[in-house]
Amino acid sequence: MPTETPAGPAAAPPRTEREPNAMSRAHHQARQRRRPRAPRRLVPRLLTGSVLLVFTVFFVLPVLWLVLAATKTDQQLVHGSPLSFGSWHAFRTNWDRLTAFQDNAVLQWLGNSTSYALISLVITLCVAVPAGYALAMTEFRGRHTLLVSTLVVMLMPTATLVVPLFLEINAVHLIGTMWSIILPYSFYPFGVYLTYIYFSTAVPRDLLAAARMDGCSEFGVFRHIALPLATPVIALVGFFSFVANWTNYFLPYVMLPESDQMPVQVGVGSLLSNVPSFNPAVGTLAIERPQLALATLLAITPVLIVFLFAQRFLVSGMLAGATKE
Amino acid sequence: MTVRKLSPSPRRTLGKRHTELLAGCAATVLLTVTACGGGTASTTTKDGFAQVPQKDGALTVWVDATRMEAAEQYQRLHPDVKLDIVSYDGDANGSNYLQTKVQLFNRTGKGWPDVVFSSQNNEASWAVDADFAAPLDKGLIPESTLGRFSKGANDVCTVDGTLYCLRNDLSQAVLWYNAPLLKKFGYTVPTTWEEYRQLGEKVSEEHPGYLVGDAGDSFTPEIYLWAGKCGANHITGPKSVSVNTTSEACTRMAGLLDVLIKNKSMSTSGVFSTDFGKNQADKVLLMPGPAWYGGAVFKDTLKVPAKQIAAAPVPQWQGENAPSTGNVGGGTWLLSRHSTHIKAATEFLKWVTTDNAYQGEKAPGFPAYAPASEAWLKGQAASGYFAGDLSALAAASSQVWPEWGSGRFSQEAIWAATVKPGITQGKSIVSMLPAWQDSIVKYARANGYKVAQ
Amino acid sequence: MTLTHSPAGSAARRRRGAARQSRAGTAFVAAYVLLLIAFGILPTGYAVYFAFTDAGGTFTGFANFIDTAQDFRFMDAVGHVALYLLFWLVSLVVFVVALALLLHRLASGAVSKSLRFLFYIPGALAGAASVLVWLFMLDPAVSPVSSLLGMLGFHTFGEVIAPGNLPLLFTIIAFWTGAGGWIVVIHGALDNIPRDVMEAARIDGAGAWQTAWRVQIPMLRKWIVYMVILAFAGGAQLFVEPQLLSLASVGVAGRDYSLNQLTYDFAFQMNNVNGAAAVSVELLVVSVSAAAVFVARSRFFDAD
Repeated sequence: MPTETPAGPAAAPPRTEREPNAMSRAHHQARQRRRPRAPRRLVPRLLTGSVLLVFTVFFVLPVLWLVLAATKTDQQLVHGSPLSFGSWHAFRTNWDRLTAFQDNAVLQWLGNSTSYALISLVITLCVAVPAGYALAMTEFRGRHTLLVSTLVVMLMPTATLVVPLFLEINAVHLIGTMWSIILPYSFYPFGVYLTYIYFSTAVPRDLLAAARMDGCSEFGVFRHIALPLATPVIALVGFFSFVANWTNYFLPYVMLPESDQMPVQVGVGSLLSNVPSFNPAVGTLAIERPQLALATLLAITPVLIVFLFAQRFLVSGMLAGATKE
Repeated sequence: MTVRKLSPSPRRTLGKRHTELLAGCAATVLLTVTACGGGTASTTTKDGFAQVPQKDGALTVWVDATRMEAAEQYQRLHPDVKLDIVSYDGDANGSNYLQTKVQLFNRTGKGWPDVVFSSQNNEASWAVDADFAAPLDKGLIPESTLGRFSKGANDVCTVDGTLYCLRNDLSQAVLWYNAPLLKKFGYTVPTTWEEYRQLGEKVSEEHPGYLVGDAGDSFTPEIYLWAGKCGANHITGPKSVSVNTTSEACTRMAGLLDVLIKNKSMSTSGVFSTDFGKNQADKVLLMPGPAWYGGAVFKDTLKVPAKQIAAAPVPQWQGENAPSTGNVGGGTWLLSRHSTHIKAATEFLKWVTTDNAYQGEKAPGFPAYAPASEAWLKGQAASGYFAGDLSALAAASSQVWPEWGSGRFSQEAIWAATVKPGITQGKSIVSMLPAWQDSIVKYARANGYKVAQ
Repeated sequence: MTLTHSPAGSAARRRRGAARQSRAGTAFVAAYVLLLIAFGILPTGYAVYFAFTDAGGTFTGFANFIDTAQDFRFMDAVGHVALYLLFWLVSLVVFVVALALLLHRLASGAVSKSLRFLFYIPGALAGAASVLVWLFMLDPAVSPVSSLLGMLGFHTFGEVIAPGNLPLLFTIIAFWTGAGGWIVVIHGALDNIPRDVMEAARIDGAGAWQTAWRVQIPMLRKWIVYMVILAFAGGAQLFVEPQLLSLASVGVAGRDYSLNQLTYDFAFQMNNVNGAAAVSVELLVVSVSAAAVFVARSRFFDAD
């Protein structure tokens, strides 16, 4: 992603018609599986196969290379075969040298990233889920305006606002504190929109109306009826929010000038300047390329793990869940 | 005398309504607002500047990876001093990292490093305006110490007659060569640029693949064009520069480079590139380059064995009576005027720039502090890495052509962005001189310089 | 766009609950509204305020816009970003749609699923990580595809990062990290095309190609436009790629390349926040207008 857009590329595209309920989606998927396949000829088949192969290589090869690079010495990296495994010993050495860099700086950066991403995740959920619920299921003054503003802000990339945000946060003396990025991270209109779509499609209003009839307070309706039904969308918003915050570069780059506050994305960027081939002025004690690769690998591991856990809903198209007709 | 300290950066005056709006919003949204000031600590004017109240605590030192060794050595020798060593890119190639961060710290009112190393010589040009660098010759560093730096070494640190940084090393260019290889090929070290060109032509015919130099780095203009007295960067005043890249001196040297690049006896990869290290590391016959090439390039990066590399004076044009050479960086140390550990910071600064334990024995470059440079030369001779002595370095230290300055804009960055891509594409340097000039002029003007062409 | 609220339950119930609901609704959105004001509206207003004033806070009209537009790097940066956006959007539309269609036609659901996941993985390397990986991929000395680079005439890193290649390189990096997510989304959209429509096309004897061109792609149009809008808004903000490439190429490529880098330069190196704000406002106006046109015209966001 070029920069941090509020909505990731996997943004669930909204929909036109309302889906009656979650049932029909399941039904629809069942129909999908029974879809008859047209018989195909060999040539287009080969063509399809090779196109997919080329793109698979394109998407996978760099990741594979990165994993292997972390197991090599700098010599092996330059002179050896690019896609060979180095050795566990070299991996171990790379690990030791990387962690020795500025006394465990890398681990500290990882810790920073974790706390920034998680704290803002919690705030995002606490803010976005009730807001999305209210937009979908209740009627209040300014609802229409709020919905439209959410849509516009959602499509508006936050990176443009980094400089004004810096000035604003500077005016309240928060530059250099973790709140200078956690609070902007916590503002996640896409999460509100996603929750809104979810509630307005997957949760029948009559259910809430019935609960109200039974004397539930508005908060009680939310707490006892809506929230238990919202687990999938909470996971979804959490996923996007975590990934977006973890991979953000520009905002912390500006807001957190001190190196012991850097999140790992910015830290890895600054490691780059300690690699001699990228910065001739550095000398012998520098970080070498395999260590940089290892640092990159470390930086993305949490997101990769989240991806693996989210795999089921990612590919099943559930992230576009609310979008089915 | 106690004065009220001004806020570290000129704060923006906001409309009252605006401020109220912000304050209201802040109060409601922010859960934890740590009131922080950056406004009203009382200061003491001493050593020529307003010092903040001094405290105990770790001394924050920013160094590039090469100078990391110096800071670590200081820590070993002074275990009682608490050091917080941070490595950054050293502002290499005009990355402006330090400047950007100082602007940010100026707004936050904290975070400045106490002492910082920069591989650039132009830091004083902005660090004074940004109210970051402390004056050093107003009491912090005794005159007796300052007087023993090599002549002119600290010129780049002087703004309006006051000294704002100390030079780490001199980076006068010399002609490095591989002595046994030269002997084996039956060549002699060229003393004029004419001989140098002839040698390059001979090498390309007789020993194709071998190199007499490299023009692929961003410091190419400083090695060749500076030595050739090309007036591309004549800083004539605090905010004025004279730029002329199409003079006879410039075209002559550029033409020389073009010939050698064309016959491939001059590399265009850059000595630090992966490509150079992989394919050309053992092909270096001659290489004009700064003093620090000896350790950083030949010994550490290219891993040339001992007893091969030697240094000779940079060639001169025939008929030239005053020898001249260029200079590539050479690093400076700055001390923050916001430091709360000025005493410890000054101790460190003095040690790192003058002490033989580092500058004399360990430093990779030619020390700017003259007594240390003598020790350094002895040490280099004793180490036995070089073939022959390095007296050429000592001689060259006073031959750097003075009409090439250190402005606020980075000549290296301009060359890298303007000329280097053209060289890669096979364009001649001569043909790019006007574009180079154009680019220097634009950057100089954008940085507020008055430009004479 | 039309945002009419559909009634829930009977009119009587609605009247009774309306006031209560309104209060509760307001309470539920309160925290979000505060964040929206603090980090959406206020910075926007702040940017506009700075863009039209000078360092002393005096109104200056369009002076900041004129000054920054006259900076010698400005038009270059506009050109760079425009060219990059062209490459990036075209490649996104062509390849994402094509790959989604291919994956959708794949006989084996498991293979299609695994491939979609594999394509999605580079998304984890968004930001600085992607640039670092591609620095190596594009350096013929260490790249696993150095022979391919060699065939294309690139033998050194310097040749690869020649200024003319940069839009393409940034496109490749952006595509590598971003395309997988969109493939999943478009694939999901393909699943949504009603079975009857596809059936009808099949009965009419339409082949794969005709079905894709005449039926599927027209029905995907809205989604493609949505993808383009978001990719456009994101792409116009290009920052980390040129910033790190500039560092890695020791200043040869990527310095002052994009508009966002220029705002950063103005703000933190030239100490000209007003100029920086002016450029930010320009970027904002462009991306918000694109978004507004989309929201208003596409009916994509019909809320109820």
